Amino acid sequence: MSKFTLTNGKTIVKPFNKIWIIVACVALLLYLFSRFIPFDPTFIKLDQLKVILEKMFTPKGNRTWNDYFMYIPKSLMRPLQETINMSFAGTIIGSLIAVPLAVLSAKNIVKTKFIYIPARFLMNLFRTIPAMILALIAVFFVGTGILSGIIAITLFTFGIMSKMLYEVIETIDMNPVEALESTGATKVESLRYAVMPQVLPMFVSYLIYIFEINVRASTILGYVGAGGIGTVIKDNILYNYDRVGASVLLMLVVILFVQMLSSFIRSKLQ
Amino acid sequence: MRAAELALKRKPKRWVINLVFVGATVAAMVYSFAGSTINWTRVRTIGISLRVMMEGFADLQWDFFFGTGIFRFEEGVIYLTLVTLAVAFIGTFMGAVLAIPFGFLASHNIVGKRVARIGEAILVIIRVFPEIVLALILLKGFGMNALTGVMTIGIHSIGMLGKLFAEAIDNMDKSPLEALDAVGANAWQKIRYGIIPQVAADVSSITLYRLDINVRSATVLGIIGAGGLGASLILAADSWSWNILGTILLAIVIMVLTVDAISSYLRGKLV
Repeated sequence: MSKFTLTNGKTIVKPFNKIWIIVACVALLLYLFSRFIPFDPTFIKLDQLKVILEKMFTPKGNRTWNDYFMYIPKSLMRPLQETINMSFAGTIIGSLIAVPLAVLSAKNIVKTKFIYIPARFLMNLFRTIPAMILALIAVFFVGTGILSGIIAITLFTFGIMSKMLYEVIETIDMNPVEALESTGATKVESLRYAVMPQVLPMFVSYLIYIFEINVRASTILGYVGAGGIGTVIKDNILYNYDRVGASVLLMLVVILFVQMLSSFIRSKLQ
Repeated sequence: MRAAELALKRKPKRWVINLVFVGATVAAMVYSFAGSTINWTRVRTIGISLRVMMEGFADLQWDFFFGTGIFRFEEGVIYLTLVTLAVAFIGTFMGAVLAIPFGFLASHNIVGKRVARIGEAILVIIRVFPEIVLALILLKGFGMNALTGVMTIGIHSIGMLGKLFAEAIDNMDKSPLEALDAVGANAWQKIRYGIIPQVAADVSSITLYRLDINVRSATVLGIIGAGGLGASLILAADSWSWNILGTILLAIVIMVLTVDAISSYLRGKLV
């Protein structure tokens, strides 16, 4: 700690900066965690990265560039359609089943602790599990294919949407609700005519945003057998890197397109 | 009374639009399912699958969880969870450090519009590139171990962190910078006393939020062999060992909930 003597003879002590405690904590955690990461320079082959990138983004063996790009319309349209279908169906079903849970989790609608705390716990539980792991479990139940993808995306959407939606419901203006209840409206009527009009614009905006997230997530779900473009990557990763590369290019284009479309629609909604 | 009735009649017929909208959505849904190849035998045996799953979950493998008994500590779930956390933490740290220059590169305030557009484009490409594919590529260079996971998360995080850092820098108040200019501060002093104090809280809060996301990613990356819980998870799923799978899922849920709670507590302190 440094002391300064001012011209009038007073001494002031520069307060200890708390940032150093944080820096020390982060450094300690980095040190402790780094012991779990194997680091052996002899196993790192950076030249292999260049090799695999070349293999992915150039035609393999005696294939031509024409083959490389024609593979996309010839063989990837069906998986792409599956990916979009999966995301779409999962987003809609998941969002719809999220609505009742979001209402039950909102403190200002349901005033009973015994209801909103378990409801929040349930949605947090679904939010903790990554979509890929949900897909892995869904594959066990319904076998490989798009249905397990739909189930995984549905549960994943359910987790995010219920959380986002209940936060919106908690911030609404309660006056219309009270006004309706004072005229003798039932709980359902007040939800329909006082809560829904306030929440609906945000719900639609979130729906589009989550669809965007889901398209991104569902492109790779095929890796564990849930259908879509990920399946192509899984099938070709050992021998046909150029097919993987073509799929990745398609994925990039689709994700970018959906992202732009989504932010365009959401900006129009506001 | 008459006026009110007239007004009611003049109200646009919203239900027609709504009906068309709902009809189109339902049609698209049906189409989505129609294209799917549903394995009906598996669907019919869902009851059995559920029973097997519940039995597995009721019989969690505590020796496997703690790495005791026939398991070495390095094989136990606790150790694998720590590896997963390590991958997420170090990866996030690396991503945050690398994202700072990208944040400056993509901020209109600092480098001007032209350069910022290029910076933004780079960040979009990083953000959009699927994480699993990135890991599959990096696997060739760094081997089947946790180091690949760290590199993947480190690189992938740059996309989102860089964008949000740039926004934080663009949103800050420029007058302290002008004041520093006026007293003759050099570039480093301007960054240290003009920029860092303003963006530090935002940047830390964004990084903590990204840590939440990365803990989930780190579990998934293990599936393709980038270290942590994922590898055991996919082995258990392939051999249908629900007791092992349940044990790992329990660890994932506890880990993610804990990290979420710590990170939102710290973020609450920052604001």
